[in-house]
Amino acid sequence: MKAVIIGGGLGGLLAGAKLSKTGYEVEIFERLPFIGGRFANLEYKGFKLTTGALHMIPHGSRGPLAMMLRDVGADVTIVNSNPMAVIRMETGEDIEFHDFRKELSLTKRMKLGIILFLSLKFKPKNDISFEDWILKYFDDEFLLRLADSFCGWSLSLKACDVPAREMLEIIDNMYLYKGSGVPVGGCGAVAGALAEVIKSNGGKIHTRTFVDKIIVDKGMATGISVNGETIPAGIVISDIGHTETCRMYGCKDLEYLGKIKKIVPSKGIKICLASDEPLLGHRGVLFTPFAERINGANEVTNIDPGLAPPGKHLVMSHQTVLTDDLKGEIDIGLLDLKKIFPGKKYEVLLIQSYSSGWPVNRAASGSDIGNMTSVRNLYIVGDGAKGKGGIEVEGVALGVRNMMKMINAT
Amino acid sequence: MKVGQQCVGCGQCAAYCPYEAITVFVRAIMDEKCIGCGTCIKYCPVCAISGDE
Repeated sequence: MKAVIIGGGLGGLLAGAKLSKTGYEVEIFERLPFIGGRFANLEYKGFKLTTGALHMIPHGSRGPLAMMLRDVGADVTIVNSNPMAVIRMETGEDIEFHDFRKELSLTKRMKLGIILFLSLKFKPKNDISFEDWILKYFDDEFLLRLADSFCGWSLSLKACDVPAREMLEIIDNMYLYKGSGVPVGGCGAVAGALAEVIKSNGGKIHTRTFVDKIIVDKGMATGISVNGETIPAGIVISDIGHTETCRMYGCKDLEYLGKIKKIVPSKGIKICLASDEPLLGHRGVLFTPFAERINGANEVTNIDPGLAPPGKHLVMSHQTVLTDDLKGEIDIGLLDLKKIFPGKKYEVLLIQSYSSGWPVNRAASGSDIGNMTSVRNLYIVGDGAKGKGGIEVEGVALGVRNMMKMINAT
Repeated sequence: MKVGQQCVGCGQCAAYCPYEAITVFVRAIMDEKCIGCGTCIKYCPVCAISGDE
């Protein structure tokens, strides 16, 4: 059976690799000149920057994305970060992430153990935010700052904008799959390896190719139209999010359109720094709960020196966008970095912002509505259809896993 | 080159510009090194760049 995929981002490539491995005849249509979407390398002044995501896989070699890459036979090496993460305290001292409990009073520490155990077992069914959840049980400033730093770094959201149930799913996954890793060769190596798998399974990938529309007949997707030519398919998969997809077939289903309206893309700012000496000097994530805007940073060259020219280091910081004044937000971020790396020499390589049509996530974590559309045989993958508790690309992999289950069940 | 309101400031155009004519801060800005080759148009993910000045 033929499967056509609109969009060659990570979701489209993972779906293509899975389906081509299962025996589907896969054809991917990407409108940009390169594949990988916001999970691709961006060569700049000899550095391998990225089109969007950080060079990072949230659950490293043990997570859902790594499992899927192994399953389809994608040749990617993921090096796990050790330490997983450190926290920059107000004093300027760095502590290991797991030691954050030591910063709490003994009573709060014990309470955290019990509440967390119970909440992971019985996740809140209502829409209480992660911030309100912390306030309800702990009312602790350090925990609130750490939550904002973690949510900002991993989801590009404030803790008040993440439902506690989604965050608890993420904590569950952190216990299950552990901490982050870096793909050798960066995001681009993952996209490239998946493209190799698809091609070796007989699939085709077209770049610079616009899809005009999705063809729907009697409530069922039957193919797409490219440059006026009809391409019939048994399954149509879209990696461009629910909103854009429903425009491509003129969706009139009010219930589905109502659901789509509630999806909010997340915004973020990434600042890329180059230096001669290491700024962090370790392989983990640096969480910065006491910075004004920067949520965290990592130095990928401590894992893969090939991501920078010889002798150079590459640090990427991430921050959530808190106001509409993007220039002001960036300025505060740059000031933060001066305080995070006092006395260190570095060059600001590139400041990249993400929002609306090219966001951090098409559906902010917790606002995902799944893979289904209002028509049969048309599924959404990518960061507009992440699986529960999946941080960024892990969510993309979980979303593709969910879609495969749906396809296999029909 | 004209940069429209859709520009989010992702920096893709700056990286692909063969003439290093684009700086990005909040949005993309072309300087006098731009010869109008149009590479940036192809790489812009939100179709924010057009050829007419």
